[in-house]
Amino acid sequence: MRGKIRRIKFILPLILSHLLICCSSSQEARVIFAVGGTPAELKGWEQLVNGFQWRSGIPIEILLLPADTDQQRQSLIISLEAGVKNPDVFLMDVGWLALFSHSGWLEPLKGIDTAPFFSKVIELSDTYQGNLVALPMYMDGGLLYYRKDLLNASGISGPPKTWENLLSTSLLIQPGMRRERPDFYGFVWQGAEYEGLICDFLEFAGSNGGFILKDGLIRVNTPENRHAVQFMHDLIWKYKISPPTTYTEMKEEQVRRYFQRGDALYERNWPYAWNLHEDEESEVRNRTGIAPIPAPRGAESVSTLGGWHIGVSRFSDAKPEALEFVKYVTSYMGQKKMVLLLGWNPGRQDLYLDREVIEKMPHFSKLKEIFQNAGPRPMVPYYAQVSKIVQTKINGVLAGRYSSDQALKEADEEIAALLKRYRIE
Amino acid sequence: MSKSEVREGLAFLMPLILVLVIFILLGVLFTVMDSFFRDVTYLPKKFIGLENYAALFGDRAFRQSIEFTFLFVLVSVPLEVFIGLVIALVLNESFPLRGAVRASILIPWAIPNAVTGRIFELIYNYSYGGANYLLRTLHISSDPVHWLGDPAGAFFSLVLADAWKTTPFAAIILLAGLSAIPSDLYAQARVDRAGFMQRLVKVTLPLLKPVLVVTFLFRTIQALQIFDIIYVLTKGGPGGSTMSLSMYGYLSFSAGDFGYGSAISVILFLMAFGFSLGYLRLGAFGKEIS
Repeated sequence: MRGKIRRIKFILPLILSHLLICCSSSQEARVIFAVGGTPAELKGWEQLVNGFQWRSGIPIEILLLPADTDQQRQSLIISLEAGVKNPDVFLMDVGWLALFSHSGWLEPLKGIDTAPFFSKVIELSDTYQGNLVALPMYMDGGLLYYRKDLLNASGISGPPKTWENLLSTSLLIQPGMRRERPDFYGFVWQGAEYEGLICDFLEFAGSNGGFILKDGLIRVNTPENRHAVQFMHDLIWKYKISPPTTYTEMKEEQVRRYFQRGDALYERNWPYAWNLHEDEESEVRNRTGIAPIPAPRGAESVSTLGGWHIGVSRFSDAKPEALEFVKYVTSYMGQKKMVLLLGWNPGRQDLYLDREVIEKMPHFSKLKEIFQNAGPRPMVPYYAQVSKIVQTKINGVLAGRYSSDQALKEADEEIAALLKRYRIE
Repeated sequence: MSKSEVREGLAFLMPLILVLVIFILLGVLFTVMDSFFRDVTYLPKKFIGLENYAALFGDRAFRQSIEFTFLFVLVSVPLEVFIGLVIALVLNESFPLRGAVRASILIPWAIPNAVTGRIFELIYNYSYGGANYLLRTLHISSDPVHWLGDPAGAFFSLVLADAWKTTPFAAIILLAGLSAIPSDLYAQARVDRAGFMQRLVKVTLPLLKPVLVVTFLFRTIQALQIFDIIYVLTKGGPGGSTMSLSMYGYLSFSAGDFGYGSAISVILFLMAFGFSLGYLRLGAFGKEIS
């Protein structure tokens, strides 16, 4: 009875969309593929889907999702919680994988050779209870972009290896640049209240910090983390090498544009920014270099792992066909198509050695190493809530609402309260 | 009324009742039921009674969002109704092009909330926003102001955006109320040599009271549910200081915790319900009908 009510509750809002799908479909097995993204990405997917349909004869229907990551998660969660059979295949951000797999929504993918993929990613993100439940389509890892020309002009030999080094070189170069460019800042990064802030925080904290899993519980209140958060605050308020809008406006795109118009020496961003910086209209074309994220004192550098993974719904009524589709899009040729079309960083390692790919994307050799060492965020199903708690606290520190000590202490208390509520101890 | 008349009446009402039951009553009931469960996508569903509610009251972020939501209602609603009243009084006088002005005042109300959010995002933007541009060109301040950068600034920026968007709504309802006041009452008041203030306090406001109460009621309920503008402008920041109740509920749902999110929705519902009862009593609507 309870199950029934639960189904009705979620199905009601879906009735309309369902009617549309039911009425247009014939009885043959068709695969509904839910995907959202930029127009260019969607065009890429369309080409891939057409290629698959032509080869296999299996009809695929693209179900468009909102471009926004949070909204994509929201729409998928509602369909899956209702247990409806559509969509059959969907893309997931690496940050949701644990939630989806622990909820029992992902069908194990059988008969796939995982050797060509990034092994750490397969092991930590795509495997649940010994089964492969997803495959990486697209890889992301935090990078440091720097202005080669400005460093050269100041006689600095290369990009900074440590955060202290990044600070000192920024302080050296920023005043001179300000004379001509009043908005010039040493370092731009993602500080707004959203998931990107956590990705940056993990990189500021380095290998000794971040989310600490202790006795199955997540903690953030450690000296290394307090130091990292204080450093983030000081970049804006004490050293003033990051703009005051860091904690209100700065997300990936704002950061990317800031750097691209020539108003920053260093930028923290994902690999996608590279192609845009090298665009013909970019102010920083041929003046930009990429390097691994700097390391904090006494620790190793960390690049936060991101990316999109593809999986099959447990409720799908076309599982074999869906699996064929997954195999196709994650194949060497399938991923190569997306790389050449969109400059995507594929989830397969072997493509980073492909001659045609390297010719078009010479920076790929550096990326491969960064992805191999990138650190995932905790693979726990309640990650979204933990992340939200920590985001709010760190953003509050950047806004001057709390001290870093108070913020992380409160974050730990709130995480503990959450886990207690879920009886996860 | 005869029995057949009642039956006929019910038949006519049935479609509406069905719509209300299916789309509103069932939704509310399921939400209330769900709030008594631990309904998290990756945990077994379990009846936990009032545990979600107990947890809410120990939840710092929830208390913060209650405080914010109340404060937002207390500041924005009277402001909007007051400005709306002034606009309505002006629009009630006859002047050239009154029709065009009346129509154009509604433009902000016709713009979707999310778009309003985007408009104000462009106004409040630190480096190229309209507000800082004005400050600079009018020589009020050479340093840009970080409008959304601290809790108080973000709060008033949101109130301003909301007021811009919803004041026309208040104005139009109040205008309808004003035009229903018989004009011979004013003529009479003039004969008694009542000045503008006296006419306003002794004639207009008492007769406008039921409409004023309704305006307050509508605006309060809408302000309690404030979501879109916050979602676009601050996402609840900085540091969670502008997190509204509905935003907090949304976050719970989107993190897969339906029970907790439902409990938040129920509390929001109860608050709106309480406010409505209070206003209805204030308006003394029952009495007038009898």
